[in-house]
Amino acid sequence: MSGAGAVARAVAERLAAADVARLNATLAWSEAALAAEAARVDALPDDGVLHQWPVAIKDNIVTTDLPTTCGSRILQGYRSPFNATVVERLRAAGAMVACKTNLDEFAMGSSTEHSAFGRVLHPQDPSRVPGGSSGGSAALVAAGAVAAALGSETGGSVRQPASFCGVVGVKPTYGRVSRYGLVAFGSSLDCVSVFARTVAIAGQLLEVIAGPDSRDATSVAAPKLALQPPGASLAGTTIGIPREYFPADLDPGIQAACNRAMDRMRDLGARLIEVSLPHTSLAVPAYYIVAPAEAAANLARFDGARYGVRAESSGDVRALYRATRGRGFGAEVRRRILVGTYVLSAGYHEAYYGRAQAARRRITGDFSAAFAAGVDLLFTPTTPTTAFRAGEKTADPVAMYLADVFVCPASLAGLPAMSFPIGRSEGLPIGGQLIAPPFAEGVMLAAAARLEAALDPVAEAR
Amino acid sequence: MSVSREEVERIAGLAALALDPAELPELTAQMDRIVGFVARLAEAGSLEEPREAPDTPVDSPLREDVVLPADLARSPAELAPEFVDGFFVVPRLGAMEES
Repeated sequence: MSGAGAVARAVAERLAAADVARLNATLAWSEAALAAEAARVDALPDDGVLHQWPVAIKDNIVTTDLPTTCGSRILQGYRSPFNATVVERLRAAGAMVACKTNLDEFAMGSSTEHSAFGRVLHPQDPSRVPGGSSGGSAALVAAGAVAAALGSETGGSVRQPASFCGVVGVKPTYGRVSRYGLVAFGSSLDCVSVFARTVAIAGQLLEVIAGPDSRDATSVAAPKLALQPPGASLAGTTIGIPREYFPADLDPGIQAACNRAMDRMRDLGARLIEVSLPHTSLAVPAYYIVAPAEAAANLARFDGARYGVRAESSGDVRALYRATRGRGFGAEVRRRILVGTYVLSAGYHEAYYGRAQAARRRITGDFSAAFAAGVDLLFTPTTPTTAFRAGEKTADPVAMYLADVFVCPASLAGLPAMSFPIGRSEGLPIGGQLIAPPFAEGVMLAAAARLEAALDPVAEAR
Repeated sequence: MSVSREEVERIAGLAALALDPAELPELTAQMDRIVGFVARLAEAGSLEEPREAPDTPVDSPLREDVVLPADLARSPAELAPEFVDGFFVVPRLGAMEES
C-alpha cells in the first residue's frame, strides 16, 4: 500500500472510532473519498509542506467531492460545482481532505448545538459542548482523529471551541486568507481559520492557505506570512494585559491559569504592562447587530430557487421563498435573520446599525492605541468559563452570545488572534488568547510556541 | 424598546420567512430580549467623537482584467437543455409569452 494510502486507512479508522463514540463531529466522509485523496497525493511530488497530512474541513467550506450543507436542512445534499481556494491550496501542498465537519447552522452559534444534524459532543465529557461554531473541527483535532482542521471565524468560532477542547486555534488578519468558497455569513468579519494540536502545526497550515486570491477582492497582498522559530526567550517583547478582560467575577480557575501563564511570560523575559481597551463592553452588542445584518443579506440567496432543498408551495414565487426559508432554516438562523432585518429596517437603521459601526470603529481604535503605545501582543483569557453543559444556554440566546465576550472584539477589529491551551480547571481545558497587530501572525505564533513549551497544558490551575 | 408580535410578523415578511403561529410568542420574547441587549449601545454615550482612524496597513489590489477559467465540477453544457458557443439557448421572450 502507498504511503498516503496507509495514512488514509488510519484516518478512516480514527474517524470511524469518533463516529462510534457518537461525537457527531463529522457530516461527510467515506473510505472511497479518502482512497481517492491518497491516490491523488501519491501522484504529487513528496516535497509538499503538508505531504500526506489529513485535514478536516468545516462544512461551510465548499468541496466538489463531498457535500456542503453548512449544518442546515436548506442545503441538505448540496454539492458545490467548485472547490474553495483554501481547499485547493491544501491539496496542492500535499494534504488530504479527511472529512467535512459538523457546525452550528451557517456558523451561527457558540456551542455546536444549533446544527440541523444534531449537536457535537465534547470529546472529554459528552454532557458538555465543544464550543462553536466550528465544534466538529475542534472535537476531531482534540480526539486525535486528524492532525489539523479548517474552521471559520466570524466572531470567535475557532478560538472559543479551541479553548473548550484544549487545542490551538488561530484566526488570521481579515484579508490574509481567501474567502472564496467559504459560504458567506458576515462578509466584513468572516475568516477561514485553523485548528491543530500544536502551535507549529497550526502555523504551517496557515502559511499554506494564506496569500492573495484574485477570486476574493478582500484578500490582500499583505506582507507575506513569515513564520519565525520560537526564540529562547521573550526578552524584548511587551505584552499588554487589558484590564477589561479580567473582571472581578472571572472564573477562579481561568484567572489562576492566566496568572500562571503571565508568570511564565515574565520568567521568559517579557515585559507585562496593564492596558485599557475601554470600549470592550460594546463588542458583543455591536457584533450582534453587524453580524446578523450581514447574515440577513447573505442568506437571502437561500430561497429554494437556486440552492438545495425546495419546499412544496402552491402559491406564487414569494410564497415558495417563504415556505422554503421557514422550513429550511433552524431556530437560531431564523432569529438572526429577523434581528438583522429588524436593525436594517426603515427607522431603525441609524439607531442600531449606524451606532454599531461607530462602536466598531472605537473598538478598533482601542487596539490601535494600545499597539501604537508599544504593546507587541495582548494576552487575555479566551473564554469566561470552561466548556459548559449542553442545554445550559440554549433557552437564552443572549447568555449564549456572551460566551464570545473575549473573542468578539478582535473579530470586529479584523486582527489576528489565537487561543492555545494554558491549563485545566476541574479537568476541563482552558485557553489563553494572544491578539496581535494586523499581519503580525508570525510574531504571535512564535510567542505562543515559546509559551507552549514553557507551560504544562494539562496541569490543574490553582 | 420592546418588540411586538406584529413587528415580528412584519419583519418576517420582509425577510421572506414563513413562521409557525405557535412559535410566535416565544420568538417575540427572544427578539425582545436580543433587541433590548443590543440597544445597550444607545446608553454608551457619543461614539462619534473625532478620533484618528486606524491606518490601513495595505491596499486591496485590483486584479488583472482578464478572463480566468472556472474550474467547475460540471460544465455549463450539462446544466441546460441547450448550450451553444458559450451561451444558454432559451426561447425568445415573445415566444415564451405566447406559449
